[in-house]
Amino acid sequence: MRKSKRMHRFAGMGVLGLCGLLGQSVSAQEKPIVLRVCSWEEYIDLGEWDKDEAIELDNGTVIYGEKPLYEEFEDWYRETYGKTVRVEYSCFGTNEDLYNQLNMGDSYDLVCPSEYMIMKLIAEDRLIPYSDNFFDTQDANNFYIRNVSPYIQKTLETNELHGQSWSTYAAGYMWGITGVLYNPALVTEEEASTWEIFGNPKFNRQITLKDNVRDSYFAALGILKKDELTDEAFIKSADYTERLADVMNDVRPETIAQAQELLNQLMDNVYSLETDSGKADMITGKIVANYQWSGDAVYAMEQADEDDFELRFAVPKESTNLWFDGWVMLKNGIRTDADRQHAAEAFVNFLSRTDNAVRNMYYIGYTSSIAGNAQDNTVYEYLKWCYGADGEEEELMEYPVGYFFSGENSDARYMLQSSVSQMGRQLYSQYPPQEVMERTAIMRYFDADANKAINQMWINVRCFDIEEVPMGVWLALLAALLFMVSMGFRKSRRR
Amino acid sequence: MNQFCIQKFRIQKFHFQRSQLCIPYGLFLVCFVLAPLVVIIYYAFTNGEGKPTLENLTGFFSSPNTIGTLVYSLGIAVSTTCVCLLLAYPIAYILARSKMKHKSVVLMIFVMPMWINFTLRITALKEILTVLEGNLAYHPFLNTLIGMTYDFLPFMILPIYTTLLKLDNSLLEAAADLGADTVQTFMKVTFPLSVPGIISGIVMVFLPSMTNYVVLDMLYNSTYIMGSLIGAYFSAYDWHNGSMIALILLVIILLFTLFTNRYADEDAGSSRGGVLG
Repeated sequence: MRKSKRMHRFAGMGVLGLCGLLGQSVSAQEKPIVLRVCSWEEYIDLGEWDKDEAIELDNGTVIYGEKPLYEEFEDWYRETYGKTVRVEYSCFGTNEDLYNQLNMGDSYDLVCPSEYMIMKLIAEDRLIPYSDNFFDTQDANNFYIRNVSPYIQKTLETNELHGQSWSTYAAGYMWGITGVLYNPALVTEEEASTWEIFGNPKFNRQITLKDNVRDSYFAALGILKKDELTDEAFIKSADYTERLADVMNDVRPETIAQAQELLNQLMDNVYSLETDSGKADMITGKIVANYQWSGDAVYAMEQADEDDFELRFAVPKESTNLWFDGWVMLKNGIRTDADRQHAAEAFVNFLSRTDNAVRNMYYIGYTSSIAGNAQDNTVYEYLKWCYGADGEEEELMEYPVGYFFSGENSDARYMLQSSVSQMGRQLYSQYPPQEVMERTAIMRYFDADANKAINQMWINVRCFDIEEVPMGVWLALLAALLFMVSMGFRKSRRR
Repeated sequence: MNQFCIQKFRIQKFHFQRSQLCIPYGLFLVCFVLAPLVVIIYYAFTNGEGKPTLENLTGFFSSPNTIGTLVYSLGIAVSTTCVCLLLAYPIAYILARSKMKHKSVVLMIFVMPMWINFTLRITALKEILTVLEGNLAYHPFLNTLIGMTYDFLPFMILPIYTTLLKLDNSLLEAAADLGADTVQTFMKVTFPLSVPGIISGIVMVFLPSMTNYVVLDMLYNSTYIMGSLIGAYFSAYDWHNGSMIALILLVIILLFTLFTNRYADEDAGSSRGGVLG
């Protein structure tokens, strides 16, 4: 059911081109609050589900997407707060594009970039902190703070920039990890569970890296520092998480130089660098493993399942990247407009309502930062709806997801009964087990100098090495040039 | 009399000078060609602090990366152009000289790929090449060359075909009368007269193939060419170096066009003189 839905959605991609134009006209008596939202493409449920697509969960909740969520937000805001808001929803392609747009003078009120871009925006003092009221759990409409996963909120709170924790500025939206999607018929789990697979000559030209410097640099560091990262003493150290993040964000010049050398070698071993084509190439069998984000891995596995072709997801043993996208409010857009800030915070809250979080997960395929709470277990029920099993046909396992839902992994309420076959598959990718989450590192933002250095490193890796040209080619070129010159010379003399 | 006056008035009312027809294009030119160019030039010759500098220019010519990229782009462009020319000329020649009844239909078959969306075509090509080669990653340059050729071949066939079609048959008859055999006729009459077509074909193939990095991306060639290098600088927020490379590319294209134009004029002029004079 999920699969067909997803296909249907992707077929409707053209609709998104219109997404900037969807602001609805509002009755003229009252001047509406205009909220300008900019997010990733395909990153919000656009509604218009078929009637039979409604998801009926065991707790009685029925999830059904009628209209795009930002339009439903307009209705909800009017009903709840008695004011009219108009959402102007638009999309961006990459974090860098968004940043360039902001620099060119586009103003938005609420945007949803990734963690390192959020850090950059915090560092440049472009963000407005969420109001105290936003964190008031007593207010029934504060869905974000009532429903956010304790794990995500803790991550946001413990990461600081200039003494301010991220949670002051950012509300988590979707999150995931990175790892290796592989074809179990040709690659063993052990081979896939390390960053070194990208240099493994056994898979020469059958494996892809990501076409962006941050992800590829992360993988390179995973290989360069593997001894340190897998060292028992290092793993057992008290400040392991902090130290791991330090190692995985190392931008000392000598490290960058080593990474460049390594990436140059990897380039000779990989099939290509990709951002999107890897999923299709895994399914068609052009490649046997690829560097993948967990959400895209889920999508690829589901697509492959339709062809009765098994793909699996492994997380490198050295470390992995915990990434997330979060909603942040921009100074440049909201300025001091209290109404607009209220609407922006309400928008985040509305998306954090558990039924809306489920709708988004269903549509996007990534994992929401929203977990629900003791009274509202809709998100967990959805997880059960997707991956739960009763043991009639398959062997069962107990899969704890308590770390995400309640903060306590052994919590019996969040012990999912699922098929053993989900290990290393969709469930594993969407909600990785706690021991995997322990070795996650966050990508920090690099200051201007470091940023310049790694971007230059990446350009060096990607550019053609002129020394690679064989001598014969130079000689042939020289001969051709001489020939042309002599022809021209003869001609002019003849005249 | 009165009638005439009214008519005259009507005509005058709708009369405007011919030069005024240029206004729409002029506006377009200023807004979308000149203004961006000024912005590019501004960024190319300033640094991050907005101060004027030549560093971007000297940086380009002193870095092995950028020079390597330039060489690689030129390599792709030159080989694409050569292959296109070698493939297109015989086809255009045969088509133009044949006595077939439905020439235009055959020509259409050659040009038809142009009507299909370009990314779709390259995706199809990718699958075909995979069947032929197995693993595409072993021959990135060759694949790029095939992709580019596939993409730009019609642009080479059309101009050559048109020039050959216009070729005056009496010239060929005259050459035969004066004792030239077929090879001599081709070398001394047909080929020189088709040079303008070849030149416009070269211009139409060479220039876009230097920057069309989508073909490389789609065919798994991860090496940067000029187009992708500009993109890389822009996404690293370095608009200054990006603009400089765009400007350098512009200058290269300008020089190339000037050179080929001169060559075309000279060649066509002298050859025609040779035959007719």
